[in-house]
Amino acid sequence: MSSSEPEIKNHIRRLRFDHGEMTQDQLAKQAGVTRHTIMALEAGKYFPSLLLAFRIARVFGAGVEQVFEYVGQASDQP
Amino acid sequence: MSDSEKWAWWTIGVVALTIAAYGAYVAFLRHGPATSTVFALLALAALPTSSRRNFKCRTFDERERKISNTALTAGFRAFWLAFIVLILTIGFIKGWNSTLTVPVWILSEILCWAVALVLGVQALTTIVLYRGGYDV
Repeated sequence: MSSSEPEIKNHIRRLRFDHGEMTQDQLAKQAGVTRHTIMALEAGKYFPSLLLAFRIARVFGAGVEQVFEYVGQASDQP
Repeated sequence: MSDSEKWAWWTIGVVALTIAAYGAYVAFLRHGPATSTVFALLALAALPTSSRRNFKCRTFDERERKISNTALTAGFRAFWLAFIVLILTIGFIKGWNSTLTVPVWILSEILCWAVALVLGVQALTTIVLYRGGYDV
């Protein structure tokens, strides 16, 4: 993905530490995915489906927008 | 290492073993109908999926499913490309109106090579996508 394209950033790593230093494995089990997927998400190498985004947000007891952040381009602004 | 990566490395090993066995067979014996027996080694590729461990509650999440689908598509793309290259090569060398007569064992051998190609490309793509991430 080139840097000019919009991105979805996430705060999973910070939220894990805010929740009692939750491990990637614990989060993976609660979200129903593999630890490798959590690693890829944190590294920004994979963008989750809407369903998985909601599942991860629910694990943290947060809203989706508190976990995932859309970083758009200037041309996206109305 | 995830189960999918283990499967990919295993499959690459099986394909490499088959190619090596084929090369050794042709080098030390001769190329003939019996050479096709070497391709029985490809059946080893099914071993991980038929193991008891695979039937346990293994997590196969959305990312793995996407990687698996992309890898399979890459395998069939490679097969299709090889098929077109083969047809074009035969067509240009032998002539488009020529009749080709080949023994049945050659046909079965071509089919086995096609299976090896699809498996090999599928496994390689799985490893590349796992390592490099999967952007969608």
